[in-house]
Amino acid sequence: MPICVESDIVSARRAVREAATHAGFGTTDVTRLVTAASELARNIYKYAGTGNMIWREIRSGELHGIEIRFVDSGPGIVDLEAAMVAGYSTTDGLGMGLPGAKRLTDEMEVTTAPGKGTSITVRKWLGASGS
Amino acid sequence: MKSENISVIKIRDVLMVTMPADPEDETVSGLQSQTLEAMAQNEVRGLILDLSRVESLDSYFARTVTETARMVTLMGGETIIAGMRPPVAITATQLGLKLGALRTALNVDAALTMVGETKAGKRWQ
Repeated sequence: MPICVESDIVSARRAVREAATHAGFGTTDVTRLVTAASELARNIYKYAGTGNMIWREIRSGELHGIEIRFVDSGPGIVDLEAAMVAGYSTTDGLGMGLPGAKRLTDEMEVTTAPGKGTSITVRKWLGASGS
Repeated sequence: MKSENISVIKIRDVLMVTMPADPEDETVSGLQSQTLEAMAQNEVRGLILDLSRVESLDSYFARTVTETARMVTLMGGETIIAGMRPPVAITATQLGLKLGALRTALNVDAALTMVGETKAGKRWQ
């Protein structure tokens, strides 16, 4: 789904809530995923202007979970290492979007380069974080 | 898709501010103006911010809540955050949100009891 306007952040949260519930996650993990999606969707809206959120259920052997990707062709993250430290922010955020989303999920991958956009993938596995 | 609004009602000398389940950023940002205006218009000692319906609290929402509480303090009032759901509290903590400076209550009932205790001469605590 596209992230273009502020209300798309709410739509992203609703979509993730539905997908995570459907995948079988409990309320706490659903809340973790929804909150992570809210941070990352807001990052797209705030820094890139527009982008996309793509999600799917995933399987790996016995494991089953959900993967959510946030893709934009915005300015990219200049100092990824710094952005991963809580408290870092180039605008008026609390600077906890990236590190927060990482803590709330099981895996996070970031691909970015200045001027080349950003792609962030988060995954959460059922039963992996004891909810 | 209809967005829900914040409800602000005056109960005796406190404002009861109830946040909807999944508010848009615009609604969240309205928390500050609506609350401060209501504070100025009504003679109240502070407000109870009811978060019992809220399904997720991200950094933007949390920052607005803490800033609003700080503004209420500047206006001479006090804020009690009431009714945060367990998954929301767990997630907010893991996300790294710092709401520690705020007075909190398990639910609105407990928050009203805190206010009642103040009437006996004590500060809200």
